[in-house]
Amino acid sequence: MTGAAAGGGGGSGSTRRAAAGKAGGRSRSAQPRAAGGGGSGGGSEEEEQRDGGSLFLVNKSGFPMDGQTWERMWGHVERVHPDGGAVAAAIRSAARLARPSVPPVPNYKLSMSIPEWLQAIQTYMKMLQYNHTGTQFFEIRKTRPLSGCPWSFVFLLPGQFSSELKNCLCLQVFSWEVYSALQEICFQCGNNRPLVLRLMETAKEMTRESLPIKCLEAVILGIYLTNGQPSVERFPISFKTHFSGNYFHHVVLGIYCNGRYGSLGMSRRSDLMDKPLTYRTLSDLIFEFEDSYKKYLHSVKKVKIGLYVPHEPHSFQPIEWKQLVLNVSKMMRTEVRKELEKFARDMRMKILKPSSAHSPMKERSRGKSLSPRRRQASPQRRACRRDKSPAVVDKKGDLATLNEVGYQLRI
Amino acid sequence: MGGPAAAPLPPARRRCCDPPVGGGRKERPKPREPAARLEKAKQKSAQQELKQRQRAEIYALNRVMTELEQQQFDSFCKQMQASGE
Repeated sequence: MTGAAAGGGGGSGSTRRAAAGKAGGRSRSAQPRAAGGGGSGGGSEEEEQRDGGSLFLVNKSGFPMDGQTWERMWGHVERVHPDGGAVAAAIRSAARLARPSVPPVPNYKLSMSIPEWLQAIQTYMKMLQYNHTGTQFFEIRKTRPLSGCPWSFVFLLPGQFSSELKNCLCLQVFSWEVYSALQEICFQCGNNRPLVLRLMETAKEMTRESLPIKCLEAVILGIYLTNGQPSVERFPISFKTHFSGNYFHHVVLGIYCNGRYGSLGMSRRSDLMDKPLTYRTLSDLIFEFEDSYKKYLHSVKKVKIGLYVPHEPHSFQPIEWKQLVLNVSKMMRTEVRKELEKFARDMRMKILKPSSAHSPMKERSRGKSLSPRRRQASPQRRACRRDKSPAVVDKKGDLATLNEVGYQLRI
Repeated sequence: MGGPAAAPLPPARRRCCDPPVGGGRKERPKPREPAARLEKAKQKSAQQELKQRQRAEIYALNRVMTELEQQQFDSFCKQMQASGE
């Protein structure tokens, strides 16, 4: 799970969906907030976000990590672990530490079935391990394109480059020499961090550095490793849940192949990450997640489904994270199923256009929302009935009173 | 690295192979290259070592934090069970 707030509660109604095949989009009150403050650039204060009430730190210094980021990681450990000081001292002063093995990056073989291939990918992610350190090692900016050179630079070009020029640059296709020259401009302006802004580049970095990852990184890595398999469609599935007075956010990579749905991902909880490619419908998959969440006393508030991620290796498109937003806590299960199946059908027929396709990408400063875009589609649905499905949390009483140590059951 | 600068000649008689007027001498970079390359290689090696050390510490830390999370989760589950009873 991450601190990525994939659009917190904007808009009225229980369902928000981009109009199929039409220009213009749905209204949304907020851009997805990238894990670890990626939606904004900025200093250390902006890096710290909250994930279910806990601080959420991101490494933006590359590898090896710089001193400041390194010390911050250990400082966080000392604060959260009961024996933090001793733990940190023991590890940092150890003369020799066991060198952890580097798991081999899975390679697809023609003899593999798709389920076997997905299993190999998931096994690889598990070998990297879920990151419990409190510092996310790979910076993921959800609004960045999958790949494509020009877009990456726009956000880092210095102030002398006007917005018009930046927009113009976005539309160009550059040779490697021009790309390198633009990179040099950014370095000279004091941005010493290698420009690993494109998401697939970040995924490659994950395989090179081989470090523990969290859910958002797992989604990006899953996309990278399944690229080039046209029979495998990938789409993000985001959850906003509530537990003990806090909201939590989690994302997995939905998979559709040969008439079946499944998922890849990473989580603290083994039943909230990968699911086998056995679910006949999208709603079956989503309900499976919802049922799994209940075991951890999380109530699912919102589910957001993105579009299929293109397989093109040089796609300039950013990932569409929330083409469909369902306020499931305000909907009957039948309504949820109906919406999901309609959406899934449209996705399979490939008639959906990304809601962000016709508007320029905007960097959102942390804490600020974009004004909602006007919808050209039919009026938004409103929840006509409250969700009558049994609410485990309500029946068991206020969890906060049961949770004397203030334990946040994170996902 | 070249001898001392030749005394400047009148422009008309300066030969093309004479060193430039003003004492500027073209430096010969070749002998320095191996030193610079060596330095760069050392830096790269140091960075690699640092990365490997960081990776080892990260995984050692992750093991500890994973155990902590599991302990806290187990404790929470027991608490819930006890409250339920």
